[in-house]
Amino acid sequence: MKGPIMRALSGVAAMTLAMGAAPLVAQGPTDADLMNDAKSTGDVLTYGMGPQAHRFSTLNAINSGNVSKMVPAFSASLGGEKQRGQEAQPIVYDGIIYVTGSYSRLFAFDARTGEEKWQYDARLPDGIMPCCDVVNRGAAIHGDKIIFATLDARLVALNRLTGKVIWNKQIADYKEGYSATAAPLIVRGMVITGNSGGEFGVVGAVDARDVNTGELIWHRPVIEGHMGTLKGQDNGVTGKLNATWQGDLWKSGGGATWLGGTYDPDTNLLFFGTGNPAPWNSHLRPGDNLYTASTLAIDPETGVIKWHYQTTPHDGWDFDGVNEFIPFDATINGKPMKLGAKADRNGYFFVLDRTNGKFISANKFVMQTTWANGFNKAGKPNVIPEGRPPAPGEGKGKSVFASPSFLGGKNWMPMAYSQDTGLFYIPSNDWGMDIWNEPIAYKKGAAYLGAGFTIKSIAEDHIGALRAMDPKTGKIVWEYKNKAPLWGGVLSTGGNLVFTGTPEGYLKAFDAKTGQELWKFQTGSGVVGSPVTWEQDGEQYVAVMSGWGGAVPLWGGEVAKSFKDINQGGALWVFKLPK
Amino acid sequence: MLSRRAWMGGAGAALALGLLPGRSEAAPLAKVKALGTLRVVVYKDNRPWSWEEGGKLVGLDVDLAQAIAGKLGVRADVAELVADESADDDLRNGVWKGGLLGFTPGDVMLHVPFDRSFAARNDQVAIVAPYYRESFALAGLGGAVPLEGMPTEWRGRRLAAELDSIPDFYLIGSFGGVLTKDVAHYPTGSAAVDAVTGGKADAVLASRAQIEEGLHRAGERASRIALRKGPLPAFTSPGWDIGMAVKENSRTLGDAVEEITTTMATNGEMKALFARYGVTWTPANAAG
Repeated sequence: MKGPIMRALSGVAAMTLAMGAAPLVAQGPTDADLMNDAKSTGDVLTYGMGPQAHRFSTLNAINSGNVSKMVPAFSASLGGEKQRGQEAQPIVYDGIIYVTGSYSRLFAFDARTGEEKWQYDARLPDGIMPCCDVVNRGAAIHGDKIIFATLDARLVALNRLTGKVIWNKQIADYKEGYSATAAPLIVRGMVITGNSGGEFGVVGAVDARDVNTGELIWHRPVIEGHMGTLKGQDNGVTGKLNATWQGDLWKSGGGATWLGGTYDPDTNLLFFGTGNPAPWNSHLRPGDNLYTASTLAIDPETGVIKWHYQTTPHDGWDFDGVNEFIPFDATINGKPMKLGAKADRNGYFFVLDRTNGKFISANKFVMQTTWANGFNKAGKPNVIPEGRPPAPGEGKGKSVFASPSFLGGKNWMPMAYSQDTGLFYIPSNDWGMDIWNEPIAYKKGAAYLGAGFTIKSIAEDHIGALRAMDPKTGKIVWEYKNKAPLWGGVLSTGGNLVFTGTPEGYLKAFDAKTGQELWKFQTGSGVVGSPVTWEQDGEQYVAVMSGWGGAVPLWGGEVAKSFKDINQGGALWVFKLPK
Repeated sequence: MLSRRAWMGGAGAALALGLLPGRSEAAPLAKVKALGTLRVVVYKDNRPWSWEEGGKLVGLDVDLAQAIAGKLGVRADVAELVADESADDDLRNGVWKGGLLGFTPGDVMLHVPFDRSFAARNDQVAIVAPYYRESFALAGLGGAVPLEGMPTEWRGRRLAAELDSIPDFYLIGSFGGVLTKDVAHYPTGSAAVDAVTGGKADAVLASRAQIEEGLHRAGERASRIALRKGPLPAFTSPGWDIGMAVKENSRTLGDAVEEITTTMATNGEMKALFARYGVTWTPANAAG
């Protein structure tokens, strides 16, 4: 008993000290405020509206009975010529809305009028090659700082009131192909980030930095064989060298953690998804290739991996495993459990025991999965061998049809979990791809063995589908079909509402129980951002970014027909009920 | 999205969709002469063709760019382009549209594959002046590796290759993958050659130009290193021609450049230019 009491006491002491020192620093959200974000309705402090990223607000002033009356309060343009995909989620604090924009820009708008307070444009080198548009997914707030990642793989902390740089740190070398687009996660005074990059040779990692200085605290590579660090010292190798990789391929094994992570205060674990293995062609790297295409649970104090679960062993489809893992509690077979859920690019919705990573269930949330026929009780996929793309040099000209396409049953766009309905709302896409070996390919002026592909629709009436998934049964409770692919995040509220945007330019509201569409508003460009809601001056507000872009227009293939008339843009839209 | 680098179809799709509209007017021959500058795009970090050394851009393509500009009576403005996922993307970034982050397109880009199918799907540019025949070769320490033997005989030897290249795929993917564990990966073919001349590897599969330049630079240390004479079994790449690209509507400039390289090929200048780097100039097949 002595240990815990002592720790609790010293915790109190530390708190008192911190509080005593507080007047010396500019005030702002504390670690505790960030952890409480899901419950504090007057602000939006974290990406995901809470560290668990439920994207659920208890607010119910706007509800299924009156949402049809909702109107714009104001709109604010990001201006300039840099109008590409706007994938950000707004942060709202102390009368200011913070949004990030394409080309690594950060804006502060007055939350009552939409007037711009300040703007920060990162100076980007022209030698960077972002793989999938020049997007950014949002900022993080802490104390006097607002922090975001830039396309040249830097982390920038700005004074949240003035926009002046407090610190600016390189998190990886853009010349080696690294980039950064995800919103940072702040836990216990540390900024936790993943990395992204398109170049072969990139190795995924999760890093923790001191929020006040940007100095590295720990570094955890996600490919087995690589050494992690803690406070500058070696801190153990990830996995076991060459256990699931041959030769020296682990050195360039991929697994970029490009979507960032979530945190569960309940189990004190960070959850990060990892990207696909390299090289792309799976026949060249026999083995499971750990820990690519996986969810990792990481100790926030040390950066040590506590458990892993691989959603696509030996990924040969570029499914990745980066999708967000959302902690939730539910009773399964009469037993209350601490669980977590992930809707994977590979088309399956996974439920795991979040205390140990044990497999509970995996259910299809898309129309078709050609690569596997379900998962067995041990949590391994029943792989369909004919569904694997061919080895280089083999079957020249022969094409394999794979579904979901590499853009995934669900891509980066975050789902929401309603504590009221107990349902997950998944922004998904039904599409496949033809993929074949391309003999006449060149890279850096040299002959290369590439793959040709084209993405195809698999349904007459839709590609996008917002689906309500019951995590206890694995059944789809309702679905809303959309002609163009869905590429934006989801919000659910205590007003029995679910919000999401469409490439056609609408922000839409649905009945959370039935999926009935109750409201829509045309924002003038495609909506690929994540909506938020908060309360201000006694009224409930809803905000979303508008601005078409992201990976879909770059890789769309024949499905591009569904969005060919959509114009680019860049604007924040804010809504409320009329008085 | 890591593997975007491994795909090459997507860029073609984007081009075909017209999602990336053309921008600037071309700078044909008269305009180049009036401005007094020829902007030539070369690849960044592409030894022996173009790389930075002591803060200076050097290499075969850099020298060739200077030679062409000189013969046009203008100054060469040589710009390094970071390679994208495919050479198709590079033409978009380097020649007809420019980079997403502001890279200014060149009047001419060097080291562009001269290939009918490749040219057909990149109709925003004209690919001209084929100036060299690229091919892959194997080099190694004669005593340590049975150079003329079957690849399966190289088991247990230290093999070097550039990451994610045809030589890499051949070594780790062929013959049931028996050589996978023996292959050490390097960021470039040139670095893989240096591993052999530096005693870190026994054999390397890389482009002939990379090998020849690496051995030339190593001088005495390379004396025991030889090239395989016979073809590699089941090796799929017969080699390829490289040429230059200009914007589709800059054919006057393309014609002038092609005339210059044709002259350089016949009067021995090309051979001498390559010889300075220890590389045997091999005329492009298409140059006939």
